Amino acid sequence: MWVYEKRLQCPVNIKETNAKLAQAIISQFGGPDGELAASMRYLSQRYAMPYKEVMATLNDIGTEELGHLEIIGAIVYQLTKDLSMEEIKASGFDKYYVDHTLGLWPQSAGGVPFNACEFQSKGDPITDLFEDMAAEQKARSTYDNILRLCKDYPDVYEPIKFLRAREVVHFQRFGESLRLITDKLDDKNFYAFNSAFDRVAPCVDINKCNCGN
Amino acid sequence: MHNMSKKELFNFINQVSFMLDDITLFLNTHPDCEDALSSYDQFKEMRKEAVFEYTENYGPLNRYDVNACNYWDWVNKPWPWEGECGC
Repeated sequence: MWVYEKRLQCPVNIKETNAKLAQAIISQFGGPDGELAASMRYLSQRYAMPYKEVMATLNDIGTEELGHLEIIGAIVYQLTKDLSMEEIKASGFDKYYVDHTLGLWPQSAGGVPFNACEFQSKGDPITDLFEDMAAEQKARSTYDNILRLCKDYPDVYEPIKFLRAREVVHFQRFGESLRLITDKLDDKNFYAFNSAFDRVAPCVDINKCNCGN
Repeated sequence: MHNMSKKELFNFINQVSFMLDDITLFLNTHPDCEDALSSYDQFKEMRKEAVFEYTENYGPLNRYDVNACNYWDWVNKPWPWEGECGC
């Protein structure tokens, strides 16, 4: 269960519209390395994760990513609010406008719709955590690209900078999660078992693992 | 906290909540860190007090805290994506 709080994790107050910038930033709403994919990835992976610290990490980072989706949504909304037909045509926003008017829809900057194939939930702790660390780095690179595009727009730059910093923190937390797991596995071969599935794997949480003990 | 404006109080809630967001992620992978546990306790109290004061004076931040009088306040603006002043 989630409880909605009427505030953004980082405030967004954009004074000038900019449809061109909105078309790039929308990639972090529904694009391949965006916040929707991030949230769905972690919230999907948490069920099969057999380690309690990592389960909590996936749950809470997945939740924070929903908050980030909301921040990106607020940025795109405010950048496109009350656009005139002239601005829509001049900025190239007409291709988005024709399908969605000024509504928010999860797509990449190139117009590719959001797709669950943008993330994986493999049911193997090591596989999933490597995916998660890669995802945080990909999102960080995307934010670096967005920062280069919006450096003259401080109202946009500041919340994007905040989101970039969170990618770095999440990468760190997933790295610690991976270490917590490998500490409990056979250090001669971390990949000998899928500790979320194989019955012979060294189990940590007897209630969650499949060891049959 | 008692002499803060609406905007200051709202910003304070955002700041102290963010401290908790960050500390709780840290605690998930360091559940026995005494420094982090004591910071968590400190910020938790600050947030509780600030959210209570904000709700009493300016309206609910979540729908479990609505003061249900003669109008359902939850539907009233502002919503946070609307920008200044989402407070």
